[in-house]
Amino acid sequence: MIVATVAATTLRRVARDRTGLFFMVLLPLLIIVLVGSSVSEADRVAVGVVDEGGGPLATELVDDLRQADSIEVRTFDDEDALRLALRRSELMAGVVIPASVEDEAAATRTVTVLSPPASTTGLAAEQAVRAALGRRAVVMTAAAFAADEAGGEPADHLAVAAALAEEAPPLQVRTSVGGESRTLPLGFSYSSSTMLVLFVFVNAVAGGATIVQNRQLGLYERMLAAPVSAGGVIAGETASYLLLALLQSLVIVGIGAVLFQVSWGDPLAAAALVVVWAAVGASAGMLAGTLARTPDQATSIGPMVGIAFGMLGGCMWPLEIVPPIMQTIGHLVPHGWAVDAWIELLSHDGGIGDVARHLAVLAGFAAVFGVVAGARLRRRLVA
Amino acid sequence: MGAVLLIAAKDLRQRLRDRSALVLCIVAPLAISFLMSSAFAGAEDLHVTVVVADEDGGEVAAALVAVLGSDELADLLTVEEATDRSAAAAAVDDGDADAGLVIPFGFSEAATGGGAAELEVLARSDRSLSASVVRSIAEGFYAEVEATRTAVGTALAVGAPLEDLEGLAARARAAPDALAVAAGELGGRELDLISYYAPGMAIFFALFAVGFTARSWWLEAAQGTLDRMRAAPIDPRAVLAGKVLSVFVYTVASLGTVAAATSFAFGAHWGPAPAVAAIVVAMAVAGTALTALVIALTRTEQQADGLASLLTFALALLGGSFIFVGTAPALLRRLAVATPNGWALRAITDLSTGAPASTAVTPVLAILAQSAAIAIAAAAIARRRAET
Repeated sequence: MIVATVAATTLRRVARDRTGLFFMVLLPLLIIVLVGSSVSEADRVAVGVVDEGGGPLATELVDDLRQADSIEVRTFDDEDALRLALRRSELMAGVVIPASVEDEAAATRTVTVLSPPASTTGLAAEQAVRAALGRRAVVMTAAAFAADEAGGEPADHLAVAAALAEEAPPLQVRTSVGGESRTLPLGFSYSSSTMLVLFVFVNAVAGGATIVQNRQLGLYERMLAAPVSAGGVIAGETASYLLLALLQSLVIVGIGAVLFQVSWGDPLAAAALVVVWAAVGASAGMLAGTLARTPDQATSIGPMVGIAFGMLGGCMWPLEIVPPIMQTIGHLVPHGWAVDAWIELLSHDGGIGDVARHLAVLAGFAAVFGVVAGARLRRRLVA
Repeated sequence: MGAVLLIAAKDLRQRLRDRSALVLCIVAPLAISFLMSSAFAGAEDLHVTVVVADEDGGEVAAALVAVLGSDELADLLTVEEATDRSAAAAAVDDGDADAGLVIPFGFSEAATGGGAAELEVLARSDRSLSASVVRSIAEGFYAEVEATRTAVGTALAVGAPLEDLEGLAARARAAPDALAVAAGELGGRELDLISYYAPGMAIFFALFAVGFTARSWWLEAAQGTLDRMRAAPIDPRAVLAGKVLSVFVYTVASLGTVAAATSFAFGAHWGPAPAVAAIVVAMAVAGTALTALVIALTRTEQQADGLASLLTFALALLGGSFIFVGTAPALLRRLAVATPNGWALRAITDLSTGAPASTAVTPVLAILAQSAAIAIAAAAIARRRAET
């Protein structure tokens, strides 16, 4: 009862601060909308095309690119604009079709593909371009070869070559993950869940400012003057923090699922993960509240620590690209475990059993943070 | 003017004494850049260990394995051979290999006979890039096989003599491509993660100056400091000017320090110094305008805190400090340049990837124009409030 009263008091104070509340609800909303819409086309690589001559072959080549499932074609008027977009990574590759491509006398007609230097995503996009143009190249080469071997003009043999190329079924490449055939997870679900991990924690830690304010206002002393135990106050504060973190998580998960069809994986496991993560955030926020001396410190150090932990734990880029030592360090903070658990749920279709270890580790983090925060708060209350 | 400078200097001294501001504007972006540079140390070059299970054993399969193990791909790939699919899958599952390639029985026959050829790529969800590299190499190889087969088939169909099939196939393999896709030089540098996130984080944390200055304005209003300043013979506008000037100095100091430190210590590329300096100054102007707007819109310290936090996070999110804007859809890319920090980040990354210094002119003008619009809005709001 006392716990509920303390929690309700803190929640009421938060709710009365309208800008604060706005911030609390609007920010996660903004995040999920941005993340949701930013990766909607992540399954296709953006390829820019400049058609310098506008001839018939060039038009067919652009059509070939358009018809490729893995390519999203964006046309550009000149090569400079294409190069700028490539440098900005707005494109993964660029194709320049010169006017000379229409020259029928040339043994080899060349189009140029540009991709950022030393970039593997660029390499993959380049391959996608080659694959998309590959069939026409095969047909044209075959027709030219046939003309050399059997006489006639290449143009005469195009139909035969095209029929032959059409007849042969294309290579089927299956991609299997973890032994079962399944598509690889795309950026979409990955970034939604990692942004959930990142921002729930950042907000919760910054929210530790409330505790500092309570301390400065002498609120705890006044509560203790009533027949309320220190334990009751601490439990009430914890409950209110947990509720706030849960509320934010629910906004992100709900809006993501409803508006952007974000998959959050197995419902039971996802729910457990969201609750445990809210507990980690809430306890870290309380810890920040007992460590910071001024509300300013909590609001300023909170985002920094939250973002640094998020970076270490793989919220902003997959840990696969960092050296092993950094992967280990990433698992010294709770974020690494939470992100791993989401990968387990989203990429491996894991259930609650598969993330039990992660949940246990996260619960351990929450417990340690909570116990330390509780002890510090109690010392302050009782002393 | 003297009063403005005096007030700005006093504000800055006060900020320096309160360490949280220093932490936010200088220590935080540096610490995070340090984290990033250690996270990406040696991670820029992808190297894939691929385990290949050749269950086919035919000629084409052997050629594919040879291509994977060729010298040209040695920098990118290390090939390990497995006896069968399950051994390869185990190697991938255990993390001994980044990806696997299974060449099932019948692959060579299908490839030469024009049947349905199949390959299987074994992937780990945490190594998706590796899998797509292996996949595209295999597809590129198969395209060559298809080309030779089609060329031979077409030549025969239109009357080439049948007797020397081997020779015909050899000539087909050597025949020039009628249509070639050549790799061109883009020039410049690839935008690496550190060169994107170092300015991204620096701008994000520099925006916090808006919050603590607006907050201190209302704190001083509540404590009566502002009233006492007004009692002095200074123009009330000078008080506000002094306050926002401190934001300017703070932003320049913060962005400048982080730019210098990340360039020298962490290998971030910010581009030519004069151009970056112009962008930093423009961002500092934007910071002062935003501070004036927050002060105009709020009445208490708490409101200023809330609104500034909202603005900081919203601008940072829209401007690309957290989400890589380049790969986002057109709408988000347009929204990014609706923010001054979005312009700044894009201009800096353009410079860092090799754009000439002159390209910074448009972004600087755009940021200044946006700042002017924000400042005019702030003044209009303040005037309306003063009247009511």
